[in-house]
Amino acid sequence: MSYVDAGYAVALGSLAAYAALLWFRRWRLEQIASAAPLDSTLRSEESNT
Amino acid sequence: MAANPTTAEAVTKTANRVQPLGRRTKLTTRLVGLGAISSLVATVWLGLWVTPPDLVMHNLVRLVYVHPPIAWISLYLAFGIAALSSALWLWPRTRSRFFDRLAVSSMEVGTVFTALTLVTGSIWGRPTWGVWWAWDARLTSTALLLVLQLGYLALRRVPGDPDSRARRCSVTALVAAVDVPIVHFSVQWWRTLHQNATVLNANLSPTIHGAMAWTLLLGFVAFTLLFAWMLLVRYRVQVLSESLEGDELEGALRERWGETGDVGNAAGLVGSAGAGEGALVGVSVTGESQ
Repeated sequence: MSYVDAGYAVALGSLAAYAALLWFRRWRLEQIASAAPLDSTLRSEESNT
Repeated sequence: MAANPTTAEAVTKTANRVQPLGRRTKLTTRLVGLGAISSLVATVWLGLWVTPPDLVMHNLVRLVYVHPPIAWISLYLAFGIAALSSALWLWPRTRSRFFDRLAVSSMEVGTVFTALTLVTGSIWGRPTWGVWWAWDARLTSTALLLVLQLGYLALRRVPGDPDSRARRCSVTALVAAVDVPIVHFSVQWWRTLHQNATVLNANLSPTIHGAMAWTLLLGFVAFTLLFAWMLLVRYRVQVLSESLEGDELEGALRERWGETGDVGNAAGLVGSAGAGEGALVGVSVTGESQ
């Protein structure tokens, strides 16, 4: 592998990996936010009643 | 103060939770992402197969389509956005959670680009200079920039209330910004291994072949679009994580005050802790006004 190929592979590979990581972090947080109960306040309301 | 939060309070808080991304924001993010991918593919194709080799550096010159655009993002764009956002957060008239989020998002993405600037520069330096690394002014000041960026991100993780965290990080970003002109002018101030500017030189006269110049320009556009996409996604991550942090804090405070029977105080405190707004990506977050 030449230095040019190595440079392109490292740069584009790292950026692709970071982009995938960012996308996954957003997806996971979106899932948590949408799956979470409406609000802990509502939960405590329900338990009180 | 009421002993327990009312249903009305609960409904208001629920309505103020992080909203899903709007159609317009989703479309913008996708378009920017598609633009980045297509322009990157074109840059790689032109850079590796179409443009001619250099008279002196031969095929090694092809790294010019990757290394300078990455360095431009790291040094000027990402750090510029982070420093400007930090200054706007510190100025009381423009203080907004938006700028704090923008600063940390830009700094994190910029750190990746700075690391890649050093790595791609090193890969270029080995066959050109004969060494992977030299304590050259340009290289050393760029490495210092990376350390400062990592320091900022480490400081960001130190626990504290959102305002004091934003204040100390903003000051750090502005102090670190002093290194940017040092990196830029290092090749003029000191005798360095690193070459002087080829395109944006003192005469503003590009000293490279036309096909090379256009491919280089496309490289700048491609990496800028990629940075923009990353910034949009990273900002959204920041909004979501702050919102979830707020929810966790709220739960913990409710438990604590629930033990002492003063739940109302907990609700009041949480209202001020989980603040924020999402101007960049069109989201709204738990109760805050700009």
